[in-house]
Amino acid sequence: MTAPSEVLLEVDDLTVGFPTEDGTVQAVRGVSYEVRRGDAVGIVGESGSGKSVTSLAVMGLLPRNARITGSIRLLGEELLGQSDDEMSKIRGNKVAMIFQDPLTSLNPVYTVGTQIAEAIRAHHAVGQARALQQAAELLEVVGIPNPKLRVDSYPHEMSGGMRQRVVIAIAMANDPDLIIADEPTTALDVTVQAQVLEALEAARKETGAALVLITHDLGVIAGHADRVNVMYAGKLVETGTVDEIFYQPRMPYTLGLLGSLPRIDESGRPRLIPITGTPPSLLNLPPGCPFGPRCPKRRELCEESEPALTATTNPRHQAACHFHSELASATAEEVFS
Amino acid sequence: MTPIVSVRGLVKHFPVRSRGILRRQVGDVHAVCDINFDIFSHETLGLVGESGCGKTTTGRLLLNLVPATAGEIRFQDRDIVPLSRGQMRPLRREMQIVFQDPYASLDPRMTVNEVIAEPLRIHGLYRRDKVRDLLKMVGLSPEHGNRYAHEFSGGQRQRIGVARALALQPKLLVLDEPVSALDVSIQAGVINLLEDLQDELGLSYLFISHDLSVVRHIADRVAVMYLGRIVETAPVEDLFRNAAHPYTQALISAIPLPDPKKERTRKRIILAGDVPSPVTPPSGCRFRTRCPKFAGQLTDDEREKCSTEIPALAERGQGHQTACHYAEALTLI
Repeated sequence: MTAPSEVLLEVDDLTVGFPTEDGTVQAVRGVSYEVRRGDAVGIVGESGSGKSVTSLAVMGLLPRNARITGSIRLLGEELLGQSDDEMSKIRGNKVAMIFQDPLTSLNPVYTVGTQIAEAIRAHHAVGQARALQQAAELLEVVGIPNPKLRVDSYPHEMSGGMRQRVVIAIAMANDPDLIIADEPTTALDVTVQAQVLEALEAARKETGAALVLITHDLGVIAGHADRVNVMYAGKLVETGTVDEIFYQPRMPYTLGLLGSLPRIDESGRPRLIPITGTPPSLLNLPPGCPFGPRCPKRRELCEESEPALTATTNPRHQAACHFHSELASATAEEVFS
Repeated sequence: MTPIVSVRGLVKHFPVRSRGILRRQVGDVHAVCDINFDIFSHETLGLVGESGCGKTTTGRLLLNLVPATAGEIRFQDRDIVPLSRGQMRPLRREMQIVFQDPYASLDPRMTVNEVIAEPLRIHGLYRRDKVRDLLKMVGLSPEHGNRYAHEFSGGQRQRIGVARALALQPKLLVLDEPVSALDVSIQAGVINLLEDLQDELGLSYLFISHDLSVVRHIADRVAVMYLGRIVETAPVEDLFRNAAHPYTQALISAIPLPDPKKERTRKRIILAGDVPSPVTPPSGCRFRTRCPKFAGQLTDDEREKCSTEIPALAERGQGHQTACHYAEALTLI
């Protein structure tokens, strides 16, 4: 048994660029983070912030034309530069990934039982009958009723929530060390989302896997992550425990995100505080803080140099803002209006 | 006070046809079943429910964009269900719609000026400065008018959609998931805009959404739909504090709160199963197949009533109505 604080995944200064006719789009611009065994790390950001690309890089699933630099180490082993065959052994066995749309992750012409069994047999020497039996057990763990009958269903016979639970079952099949879930519930209704998140928690408990949960939904993050990385314009702009991020944000963007959320647990309708403007284009990003043009706190320094992640309340709560110390106990209302 | 629009016994069935060349009708999708509601002037009615519950169909029925199977929609004291397209046209000035997807609802070959001017031209009310005023009203600058829709971000496009809907100075706006496709930081700006416009112009909104947090923020009253029926309706505060229908309770408890401490201690009602097919809805109460109360708390005799008798919307006081035989108020947040 390894120590609980063992580092599972280490991403170091990762950059990903996509060449286009107009120049290189820098989708990820130097991201570093680590996931320890048993951690649940949430990555939150808006469309185009680079949160999905970062995780696709970890899985080795980026298109061939992507220019990747930096380092990604899984259990000390470098993943960048591995061949496709080598990555296939790692995928599924050590890392599993769950995507937003379960219909595209499942094969329409095979029963779900066959697909789960295939995942089991890809990495273990068991017979088909035994694998199918295990498939039914996995379906039970993710909360699918009548699992023994359901192994014979095809994906189209299932609802979106059930399909996503099948994908979670496949992800569990090989007892991975790490599960990466990219917007696993975005396409689902709230009551179904609750079922799927419950299945994901069950899967974690069963396998003891660490989780990287990518989502734009701060509510999902609040309930299912221990640590949070906030991304903006291809960089981490704040990282800390879930409580630090939600109760003591030190980056204006995080504060703005929280202030712009309508809250179901608040009555009296306080006016929402939007962030003006839109995220910058990642093609030829100007110097300075990428959030600067939208930040009401910007000063000269913000236009000249891009702030690095620096420690705030404690060494592991870091924010990329020149003036993060001024944000202690600030509210979104004070900063943005 | 008379409502601006009042809906009684509204029903919409879509035919299900067989495959093959005969395309015989083999059944009906019961999209909207016998619903009643009123919208008063300067009021927002939030219509919430999950995919397939009939909320979008209700919005389209309200504007007579799809013909109703049965029922009555009184708009300013006139039943619009039997009206022809021609008869509807003058009324269209009074009621407009904003669609969910700002990428699909704007013509890519029209400049923004043309998009906004189109309804004005159709009704013979076009004036150039009017388009400029509308752009300013929704927080865009008049110079934006010469650009095409693809040059704008999602939030800006949705503002253009709102400007077009407001061009004819309507009294009623149907907002069909107007902020669902937008990122949160952008969404807040559009919600604020809708609230400001309502105050300024005295508009009435039917706000259709699956997002209860947004509805709590913007609506005055809320109607919750499940499988074509309204199962609960109440003033917004009352609904969120004293939800009495098991479905509303499950919906509210399923919303993740952006507050880690509350999330950790929260009791969550997880519904079993999925929404049944609207082609063959369950008898009696349509929610009973997923109802935690039906499954866990009721005796066999009590269940009998759920499966045979359709629960009517019963008044619980102060405009709070619930369609459940065994309704019990519960505070969840």
